[in-house]
Amino acid sequence: MYRQLRVCASGGGIEAVPEERVVLDLARIGAELRRRGIPVVDARVMLIASMDPEVTIARTGRLLFKTARAAEAEKAFETLRAWVGLPSVRPV
Amino acid sequence: MARGVMLMSGGIDSPVAIHYLLRQGHEIVAVHMDNRPFTDDSPLAKVIDHLGLLRERYRQPIPLYLVPHGSTQTTLMRETDRHVGCVLCRRFMWRSAERIAEREGATFLATGEALGQVASQTLSNMRSATASVHLPIVRPLIGFDKQEIEAVAKAIGTYSISTRPGVCCQAVPDKPATRSNLIQILREEERVDADRIIDDCVRRAVVL
Repeated sequence: MYRQLRVCASGGGIEAVPEERVVLDLARIGAELRRRGIPVVDARVMLIASMDPEVTIARTGRLLFKTARAAEAEKAFETLRAWVGLPSVRPV
Repeated sequence: MARGVMLMSGGIDSPVAIHYLLRQGHEIVAVHMDNRPFTDDSPLAKVIDHLGLLRERYRQPIPLYLVPHGSTQTTLMRETDRHVGCVLCRRFMWRSAERIAEREGATFLATGEALGQVASQTLSNMRSATASVHLPIVRPLIGFDKQEIEAVAKAIGTYSISTRPGVCCQAVPDKPATRSNLIQILREEERVDADRIIDDCVRRAVVL
């Protein structure tokens, strides 16, 4: 389960942080995104997926959406969740 | 007066450091290491705005080299120990800056580093980061504290640019090394073809 999406510390992006300790299978996620035509940079402990907006997917489960618009980040989060099977966001 | 190459990140410190060098009458060439996709577009936009302001204030052209650095970060993250990633990253930045200095006829390198201001700016890390460059390195802010730097940044008008929202470098490890050992750093660097990487980045640099 993810906490509510929130603006990151430096204010330029929106992040989603899992409530529990998780280790994402980045190889599987990267392969799934590429299969869907999304360019992915594999930096071993994180992936950077050229979605709209661009998203960093850390092995620890932290996601960072490079946008200041909450609606864009939420849409990208739901897309990612549907594609690669991430846990959902805890409802308020 | 001398000609120097200044590393500019878009943060608070580097425009203040450049301000002191320009005030003394030195000629400056700026270098921005472009960390995308580990950052967003904001650091470059900030550097462009910093330089716009400083060019106008000091009536100096200040060319800006934009050096691609994202692929270097990816290679370092894949091939080397994450713990020392910031020191390795800075070694590549310094060596790229030195290549540009050679091209520009510059005789010194400069940075906005202040000792101990962030965890990675320790003496041992600075030594490890700069051990492979030969030009003298000027650090106008080395003994300043954060409040002093911010006060100058506000006075010269760069603070509000530096503090605009942006995405921090995502390549920074959770616990960056604060005391690096040069032998260990060199051993890590041997895992990658550093000369080829630097050649490639400097070749792909563009002047803005």
